[in-house]
Order: sequence, then structure tokens, then C-alpha cells
Amino acid sequence: MKIQKNYVNIIKVIFAVAVLLIPFYITNTYALKIICNVMLYSIIALSVNLIVGFCGQLDFGRAAFAGLGAYFSAVTFNRLGLPFIVCFLGGAIFAALIGCLLGILCRYTSFDYLTLITIGFSEICRKFFINWRPITNGAFGLSTKRPSFFGVTLASHQSMFYFSLILLILCYIVIRRITRSKVGRAFKAIRDDSIAASYAGIDVPNYKVLCFVIGSFFTGLAGAAMVHYTMFTAPTNYTLDESIIMLQMAILGGLGSLPGSIVGAAILIIAPEISRSFYNYRLLFMGIMMVVLMLFAPKGIMGDGGLKDQLVAFVKKNWSKRARKGEHAGV
Amino acid sequence: MFFQHLVNALSVGSVYALLAIGYNMVYGILEKLNFAHGDVYAVGCFVTYTLMLWQIHPVLAILAGMLVGFVLNLIVERFAYRPVRNAGRIVPTISAVGIAYIMRNFIQAIWGAETYPFSLGFELKSINIGGVVIGTLQLYILAIAIILMVLISMALKYTKWGQSIICISQSIPTAALMGIPVNKVIAMVYGIGAALGVIGGILFCSYYQFIFMGIGFSYGTMKAWMAAIWGGIGSLKGSIIGAMVLGLSEIFVSAYVSSAYKDVFVWLIFIVFILIRPKGMFPAEIAEKI
Repeated sequence: MKIQKNYVNIIKVIFAVAVLLIPFYITNTYALKIICNVMLYSIIALSVNLIVGFCGQLDFGRAAFAGLGAYFSAVTFNRLGLPFIVCFLGGAIFAALIGCLLGILCRYTSFDYLTLITIGFSEICRKFFINWRPITNGAFGLSTKRPSFFGVTLASHQSMFYFSLILLILCYIVIRRITRSKVGRAFKAIRDDSIAASYAGIDVPNYKVLCFVIGSFFTGLAGAAMVHYTMFTAPTNYTLDESIIMLQMAILGGLGSLPGSIVGAAILIIAPEISRSFYNYRLLFMGIMMVVLMLFAPKGIMGDGGLKDQLVAFVKKNWSKRARKGEHAGV
Repeated sequence: MFFQHLVNALSVGSVYALLAIGYNMVYGILEKLNFAHGDVYAVGCFVTYTLMLWQIHPVLAILAGMLVGFVLNLIVERFAYRPVRNAGRIVPTISAVGIAYIMRNFIQAIWGAETYPFSLGFELKSINIGGVVIGTLQLYILAIAIILMVLISMALKYTKWGQSIICISQSIPTAALMGIPVNKVIAMVYGIGAALGVIGGILFCSYYQFIFMGIGFSYGTMKAWMAAIWGGIGSLKGSIIGAMVLGLSEIFVSAYVSSAYKDVFVWLIFIVFILIRPKGMFPAEIAEKI
């Protein structure tokens, strides 16, 4: 057993080194761009997972919060000339404030109404992105600059890779800590049975608001990082379809599983890039995947009792059978 | 001008009402979000459109479209909704979103993403009463919506099928114990909902005189859903009045407040309304499920 554990640790270290050195052996900027996108979308998928997977609030308006963070950060960076880190965190905090507002609206609402309110909220935000031309430059979109720290601009894709990686690791650790704290357990209790949770002394409405605040903070953070990475944004990036893709990343990876969100984001970003010729049928594949996943593995790939667990159980069962057969033959 | 806006609002509202009746029937019984409603009936509308291009009589074409919607929703219900009926709330919702994507892409693959002109082929007259113009089509739409509502409420009240639908909406296990074929009835409700949606969708298209692959979601599901919640989930009378309120708020906001921010104001009014009165204006008289 101990030797096996050592093997696992060695594999983990090798994997970590391999990830750290990606910019040295993948020099293709297109591939690097996709990897950066995967990491930034992973942060969004993590925040979706926090809201949908841990707190059980089906939110269809995540893209709007990425948009709020992105626009706030880009506009303050372009117009006010504040240091990058201020605008960047400002975007996230702005998204969190709006998330707080949404949470307060949804505090006492039940399932369907919450979904509808989040859709309405994202539509309202999108209309503001399109129509508030003096600030957002309307449907033409908004350009901005690369991030810079203390006068050093992260111009190359390699530096952006490390920026996104550090951001992802930080967000992952923080969200992991949250989900394993008292707050995270309260979220899970609300998800499993909100009536029982309220009898256990959990302040359900306020925890829901807290969940929206934390989730929106990370969504806004990722949105702000994305706009400074691509240096351009437009209202078409923040539609309902985009929200559903973000939701799908968390669901494909497995609701309630944090590594799963990263896997889900990776699959849903890389798959359309590989199959460019099928671009028109992207939504068809996504639809089929959604239905098939819900029918056969509603817990996703890495979730509790999801595809991975089923596969492991299947392999173990068959291996033990073979082992038993072998013993039999030996006797 | 005010009266003209009022007439326009009521006619937009009656179009939404037709969409909302079909939606509310399914929604009221199972209380599961049906994201695919609009996209399923959009397929039926496109079939009608194609048949009418082939010079088939509009009434026959509409009947064929309704049949396609009916059968399609039976298939969808059997393979995508029934297996996940008891799996909480997130799972069926995501499954329905998946069906919506499949249907939309199916339309895109066959008919393309262009916008086509659409007309039922009837001569569109309009009546002028003291400067207010009322289209005859608008009157027909309103009449059809009200007739359908009356027919469905009577069917729910006086037929065995209707009573079993109401029984299922109260409690599925009890209905099954009383010998009601639950699966059959629910499948039927989905089918009828889609068929009604096709009628609504076709009248929507002939009112705005276009058809394109996006009519299902943004103009169908969302508006029908808003109208259904506004009027009261599961209440047919409520869905018509909710649709009228939706039409009124859309037209008057764009006329007197701001047309660019129309959706913002309509959503704001809607959100405030459902926060104040979450059961809608005419809550159905059904005991609450816990």
C-alpha cells in the first residue's frame, strides 16, 4: 500500500513539473492560448460549481458576471489609468457587489424563480453592455491592454500562462478551503435539504447571499483576467448560451467536484477547437452530451459516483474476478 | 396614440397568450422547467412553412405541423424526460436545455439560419375605428386564444382524461395508486402542449411575418414562461392575462419610456412582481408540494 502511495506522489510531482514547464515545450502560441483559456474558464467553472454544485442554486446568468468584471476592469484601466491590480480586483469586487444584490433578490425565492431571475439579470446586464455606449462602446466592443505589475507588462503568451496558472491555483485553493469550512458544509446542507438545514440552525437566506457573493467574485475575477488576456471584449461574449456553456463545464466535470470543473472546462474548450469543421454542429453535440450525461451519469466525470467512480468500480470488479480465476486455475 | 398602443399591446399579448397556454399546461402539471418547449414547436412551425411552400392548403399544413410537434414531444418525453422525472430539479432542467439545443441545431441543419418571410396566405385586412387601426389577424389570434382556453378548461373539468391530469398534478404516486396510467397521461400532456405551441408559433410567425430558427427560445419559451409565471403556474386563465400584462408592459415601455432599454424595464417589472407575488396573479388551487 505504501509503495502505491509513493507512486501516486511521484506521478503528482511529475505532472506538476510538466504543467509548470508547458511554455518551454509548447511554443505554438495557438496551443498556449487555448491552454490559457482553459485555465481562465476553469476559474469560472469552479465558481459555477460553488453556486450550483455546492449550494444547489441553478444559476443561468454566470456569463453576465464575467462580463461585469471584464467591463469594470477594462473601463477603469483604460480611463482612469489606475494600477492594473486595482482595476483587476475592482472588477471582481464589482461583480461580487452585483452578485450580492442578486443574492438579496433571490434570498427567499425557490428554484424556478431563481433560475428565471438569474436569466433576467443576465439579460439586463447584456442590454446595458450593448446600450450604454459612452462607457461600454456598445456592440462594437471594447479594447484594452495587457496586465502590468509594477511597470512590467505581461506581453508574451508565456508570461500570461504563468499569470493564469497562479490565478487558477490561488482560486482553487481558496474555493477548496471554503468548501471544506463551516460555510461550505452549510452550502451542502442547503443543497441537500433547505428545510432540514434551517432546522439545523443554518441561516438559509443569508448563506444563499454569501454563496452568490463568493461565486460572483471569482466569476468577475476570471472575466477581468480574460478581457486583459484577449485585449478585447464585446457583448456577444456574455449571452445566455455562454452562461449555459459555463454551467455545462461544471456539470460535465461533476457537480460538487472541484478537480472535475477543471476537467470539464478543458474538454469544453479544447473539443470545439479540435473540431473546427464541425463548428456549426457544436450546439448539437453539446445538446446530445447534456441529455446523455443527465440520463446515464448525472454526476459528471469526477463527481461523487460519476463516470470515474463507475469506471474504477468496473475495473476493480473485473480485476478481482480475473485474480480469483487465476487463483482457481493455480489450485 | 394611446389607444393605438393599447390595441398593439393587446394583440402582442394575445400572441403570447397562445404560446403560454401550451407551456402552462405542461409546466402546471409537472412543475418542471420545460426549456425545450419553444424549440420543439419551432420544428413543427418549420414543417408547416415547408408544406405551405409546396402549395398545400394552410389548414392542412398547420394540422401536419401540429402532428409533427405532437409526435416529436412524445419521443422527447419518452427518452429525455421520463427517465429523469424523479431525479431532483437540476437534472431534468439540464436535460431539457440539451433537447432545446438539439432541436435548434436540427432546424439549422435542415432549414438554415436565415430569416424567411412567412404568411398564411390570407388577405390581411384592417379595421379603422376613429383613427385606431385593428388588424383582422389580431382579432383572430385573440379569438383563437380564448376559444382554446375555454376548450382546454372544459376538457380538464369534464373529461376523464382532464380529471386524471389534475390528479397527477396534485400527486403522482396517488394518481398511480388510483389506477391512472401516469406515464401515458404525462406523455399526452407533453404532446398536446407541443401541438398547442405549434398553433401559437404559426400565429406568432404570421403576426410578425417572418420565421427563423431562433423563434423557439427567445420569443417562445422565455415569453411563455414569463407569462405563465405572471399569471400563475398551472392556471389557464392566468396565462392569458399574464401574457396580456407582458404585452402591455413591452409596448408601453418602448412607447413611453425607452425602446433601447425595453427589455431591461420589462425584466425589472417582472422581477419586482414575482418577488412581491411569487404565486402569480391567479394561483392554481393546488396544495403546495413540499
